[in-house]
Amino acid sequence: MRRALNIAAGAELVTLTLLLANLATVHLPAVSSVLGPVHGAAYLLVILLTHNDRDAGGSTKLLAWLPAVGGLLVIRRRARAGL
Amino acid sequence: MNTEFPPTLARFILFDGLLTPTGPMTKFLLSVHVLAAILTIGPVAIAASMFPPAARRATQEGGVTAVRVLHRICRVYAAVGVLVPAFGLATARALGVLGDAWLITSIVLTAVAAAMLIWLILPRQDVILSALADQGRPDDRGTARLAMATGIFNLIWAVVVVLMIVRPGSTTGA
Repeated sequence: MRRALNIAAGAELVTLTLLLANLATVHLPAVSSVLGPVHGAAYLLVILLTHNDRDAGGSTKLLAWLPAVGGLLVIRRRARAGL
Repeated sequence: MNTEFPPTLARFILFDGLLTPTGPMTKFLLSVHVLAAILTIGPVAIAASMFPPAARRATQEGGVTAVRVLHRICRVYAAVGVLVPAFGLATARALGVLGDAWLITSIVLTAVAAAMLIWLILPRQDVILSALADQGRPDDRGTARLAMATGIFNLIWAVVVVLMIVRPGSTTGA
């Protein structure tokens, strides 16, 4: 659970960063078309994993819906709660 | 200033040719989408169908492990399954079919099936598993209702697959 969330949260941020970098520089459609769905999958996975987490409260579950940083914020909150 | 970079042929290959409905990127996206669908929704459909009878047969001495494994398959493959809609939407965009009625119907049905799995099937499996651990046997009505929900879930997927193949109203052919 924890490992999966770490991977998903990392992928969520890294893929979005790469997508924006691609948009700002070379703007290759091949890069966007692969990273786009990977980012979408990571985003959905963060929401799903947080939803399935018994220790996560309502506000943590809402936090997961934030684009780009939702996963990282959930991880930080879990770390603060000592999980 | 030189605006001809990359050169025309390279520009065509890199920028215009890849994402056309018959381009290589579209084929790649579609392959990932179909592969993910087969490998994730298939196991969930099978394991979820096997869960209610396995739970009825299980006693405290044996069979609970099998029920737990079936539940774990459903949970883990449901999580990996997020790849299916993500790559599906990208494929639909590349194919230019995002506004088609058959696709919108499939998206709505997929959302219904996903909601059933997340809010109905997985939580009920959880309840049955804890009943097995505590009392040694689940409540019969609980397993029957779970079996019904799972049947509807699988039926929705069957409809979505047929929609994906037949694509009613599509002019691109089946």
